[in-house]
Amino acid sequence: MSTLVRSEPYKLPAGLLAVAVHAVFFGLLYFGFDWQTQPPQGMVVDLWDSLPTTKLTADKKTEAPRKVEPPKPVETPKVVEPPKPVEQPKPEIALPDKKKQPEKPKPVVKPEPKPVPKVDIQAQQQAAAEQAAEAAQAAARGRVLDEYVGRIRAKIRRNIVMPPDVADDALAIFNVTLLPDGSVLVAKLKKSSGNDAYDSAVERAILKSQPLPLPPDVTLFNRNFRNLELKFKPKE
Amino acid sequence: MEVTQDLSFVHMIENASVLVQLVLGLLLLASLISWWYIFRKLFEIKLATRQTAAFEDAFWANSDLNRLYQDIAAAQDEAGSMERIFAAGFTEFIKLKKKHGMDNAAVMDGTRRAMRATYQREMDNLESHLSFLATVGSVSPYVGLFGTVWGIMNAFRGLANVGQATLAHVAPGIAEALVATAMGLFAAIPAVVAYNRYVHEVTRLSSRFESFMEEFSNVLQRQS
Repeated sequence: MSTLVRSEPYKLPAGLLAVAVHAVFFGLLYFGFDWQTQPPQGMVVDLWDSLPTTKLTADKKTEAPRKVEPPKPVETPKVVEPPKPVEQPKPEIALPDKKKQPEKPKPVVKPEPKPVPKVDIQAQQQAAAEQAAEAAQAAARGRVLDEYVGRIRAKIRRNIVMPPDVADDALAIFNVTLLPDGSVLVAKLKKSSGNDAYDSAVERAILKSQPLPLPPDVTLFNRNFRNLELKFKPKE
Repeated sequence: MEVTQDLSFVHMIENASVLVQLVLGLLLLASLISWWYIFRKLFEIKLATRQTAAFEDAFWANSDLNRLYQDIAAAQDEAGSMERIFAAGFTEFIKLKKKHGMDNAAVMDGTRRAMRATYQREMDNLESHLSFLATVGSVSPYVGLFGTVWGIMNAFRGLANVGQATLAHVAPGIAEALVATAMGLFAAIPAVVAYNRYVHEVTRLSSRFESFMEEFSNVLQRQS
């Protein structure tokens, strides 16, 4: 009755299911994961002793007025105009007639500047745009300049071995001639601080700080860094 | 040194050493076969449980054992384990009954032996391949571990030749090696779960068979 030879009907479906399970598993492994590992973006941080100071740069001084100039002609008439009509009626109502008369000449004088900007608006705008672009460029250059001057000063400042008894306002000005690789050709004392020890300490620090950090831009170096005037105060 | 390491699954397996690849292949095969058995056994045990329940219902529903026997004999292919036990016992009982001069106890003994033999065969059939699942479940983690240890050994040996040792030198090797352990666990976990479950279900079925055998013996003894 009970024969051992028995048909197993589930061999094929079971085999297919087993393959399916593996296919699903490896499919999940392959597609479900983001196997690509991306290295974190590197971040470079410069630690500075002091922020670049603005007063050192000669360019800044010329830039500053340039920046301020363009807005002036545009702004001034517009800003001044609106209050006038408001102010004028008030005195008419409130004040006696005698006081009106001296005021009247004023509006006659004031309208004169108005037409001037209106006529040249386009030309002025163009000029303003050019000036703004120039100013932006100059500002960018000035920023780089400030940055590197700041770095140079910071590096030298670190190397100054402060002699005793130096007055806080002792100002030593050096004319430094640099080479493109950052080494110092000449460091000449332009104006002594009045304290020889401090002057020589600064000079030693300048020489010790070679090579000085310089901008990669060669034209900038040629323009501003070949001969550098550096001022040093004991406390800043 | 490369900035980005391609640690994709395929790439890792491709780069692994030959032994690790062998281990992976072995484990994949074991996993495939064990899953095959898992599904076969799942269907088999499900069917056996269903057939047993159906037969128990039929057995207790009608008292005419002869007709039950006829039905089973007519549809032999669809007969389940309990039907076969019943058929074996009933055939033996009829045969012994026909022989004159046998006392009741001897007839019952013979019947019981016949049923016991069929029961053993059925149990053997139900339990077949379960040992394979048990083996895969217990051994494949070790096989995977072996592949991992070997891979890590290789990774560190490569490190010995490098002056400045960084994690980046060993990391890909270790990742590759760990794939073997993962594979071993992947093969082992379902096998262990399935093994435990199937052993439990087969035990329940066997106790059902045994109690049926006792009850059926009583029925036969009453009739003789």
